[in-house]
Amino acid sequence: MSTGPGAISDPAFPASSRRPDAIKAIPVRHPWRWVAAVVVLAFAAAVIYTFAAAPGLQWSVVGTFLFYPEILRGVLVTLELTAIAMLIGVVLGVILAVMRLSANPVVSSVSWFYIWFFRGTPVLVQIFFWFEIGSILPYIHIGIPFTSLMWIGTTNQIVTPFLAAILGLGLNEAAYMSEIVRAGIISVDTGQTEAAQALGMTRVLVMRRIVLPQAMRVIIPPTGNETISMLKTSSLAYIATVGELFFIQKEISNFNYDIIELAIVASIWYLAMTSVLTFGQYYLERYFARGASRQLPPTPLQRFRRLLFHAHDPVAMGPFEPPPVYAPHEERRL
Amino acid sequence: MATPMVLAESVHKCYGRLEVLRGIDLTVAPREVTCIVGPSGSGKSTLLRCINHLEKIDAGRLSVDGELVGYQQRGDKIYELPDREVCRKRAEIGMVFQRFNLFPHMTALENIMEAPMRVKGEPPKAVEERGRSLLDRVGLADKVDVYPNQLSGGQQQRVAIARALAMQPKLMLFDEPTSALDPELVGDVLDVMRGLAQDGMTMIVVTHEMGFAREVGDSLVFMDGGVIVESGHPREVIANPQHERTKSFLSKVL
Repeated sequence: MSTGPGAISDPAFPASSRRPDAIKAIPVRHPWRWVAAVVVLAFAAAVIYTFAAAPGLQWSVVGTFLFYPEILRGVLVTLELTAIAMLIGVVLGVILAVMRLSANPVVSSVSWFYIWFFRGTPVLVQIFFWFEIGSILPYIHIGIPFTSLMWIGTTNQIVTPFLAAILGLGLNEAAYMSEIVRAGIISVDTGQTEAAQALGMTRVLVMRRIVLPQAMRVIIPPTGNETISMLKTSSLAYIATVGELFFIQKEISNFNYDIIELAIVASIWYLAMTSVLTFGQYYLERYFARGASRQLPPTPLQRFRRLLFHAHDPVAMGPFEPPPVYAPHEERRL
Repeated sequence: MATPMVLAESVHKCYGRLEVLRGIDLTVAPREVTCIVGPSGSGKSTLLRCINHLEKIDAGRLSVDGELVGYQQRGDKIYELPDREVCRKRAEIGMVFQRFNLFPHMTALENIMEAPMRVKGEPPKAVEERGRSLLDRVGLADKVDVYPNQLSGGQQQRVAIARALAMQPKLMLFDEPTSALDPELVGDVLDVMRGLAQDGMTMIVVTHEMGFAREVGDSLVFMDGGVIVESGHPREVIANPQHERTKSFLSKVL
């Protein structure tokens, strides 16, 4: 299928000989749109100016601390927390979702109970719980049953603040992820499972090769959402004294009293990180849409190029564009 | 007489309190094409699904190629088959669905190669060769790398047939393979099935295509209300139905 745009017509009837010229009409004027745009812009500008030009705000302080080594280290820890907690969330979430759909009533009840518990208590409390676990469980024994092999350590040695935050964030996330994964699994047509079973595939194989790859299309958008949410929720790790972005900026402002300035520094970094994630999610979705939609949506870059070079070309911009047949693994030509 | 490919004796199947199959007796010899017709809800599809271990029967005996379906007899006790055994048996039976059920995230060739590689563990090279020749056989040699949603219904169904054949089954089940197709696409699919029958494949075809049944079928079974009302040679059943219900059904579909 290497045919390009315009290939929908029958080759026996060349389109050019029959298709009349595109209609060139004078567009309808929309004066109120302009009025609305001006009002909204003016209001937005006023709000931004009020804050940006606030007499007590020292932008120079924001500039000084934006790339301060401690702040950068905080950014790194935030990214670590997010990545590890999401990894635990996704892996455990898939396991919980499969358990939830299991035919074994004990297994599915355990999953239900887990979700009920971890979704029903605040993350902040959960992080705090792990952080303080040493006070009720001073020692941890790890041994192999029926042997004398045994390892004992103090809980505070093992459950560091970072691990406490990871446990709190990750275990909580797993509860949410499992519901997302379950929704994805349920969304796959049962005919797919039947066809795979009819070919002799085992349950595990059906899940891994047929159902989960198709469930990904439903799973990815909310997972991206969760990751972005996790990036910000990780700031709760400050309660466990983990040196992530929020904790660091708070430490600095406790010292120099430039509270708003440092909050702005942190906000800029959070915004930057979530922006990158949003971008990544878009490409991930495109990848898993293969075979699902005939025509993949253009990437932001392609859309931008099209806006620049084809803004006045009704064929490239407007609804007249014939749907080109999408060839797999081949960039759509403009 | 050789072992029948499919032997059903008084097969019963219930969904809850609804009895879908109420005593089916059926024999399908190897290399024979059996067509099953009947109104919807008569249990035709359920019978196919039972033969392919997708459903367990509740009473009676059902065996494929001399082995019980879903159960195992040792002494005078009947044991349920473990999942792994069920999968092994399903791998020997090909099934084609009304709604095609191709895997949308795989190309035509990947659809065909999936099971031979993952289930039978055959080497990719040999499977790919067989996949390409199967696609050629169903007239889709140029659609190797195309995803299912870029194919017409008729093309999808032919890929689905090739996918089932790639497992080199000893029995092919067709569950209304042309019912979801535009009329102009039905012919291509029936041509492929006709070719299969000529090559000696044992087939059970649930269909509404009476022309196909008359021309290709070795026997025609008319089902209604979960029982086989009438069966025999297609031409005889169609030309000279014995039962009232067969007569009224045929008068509507012919």
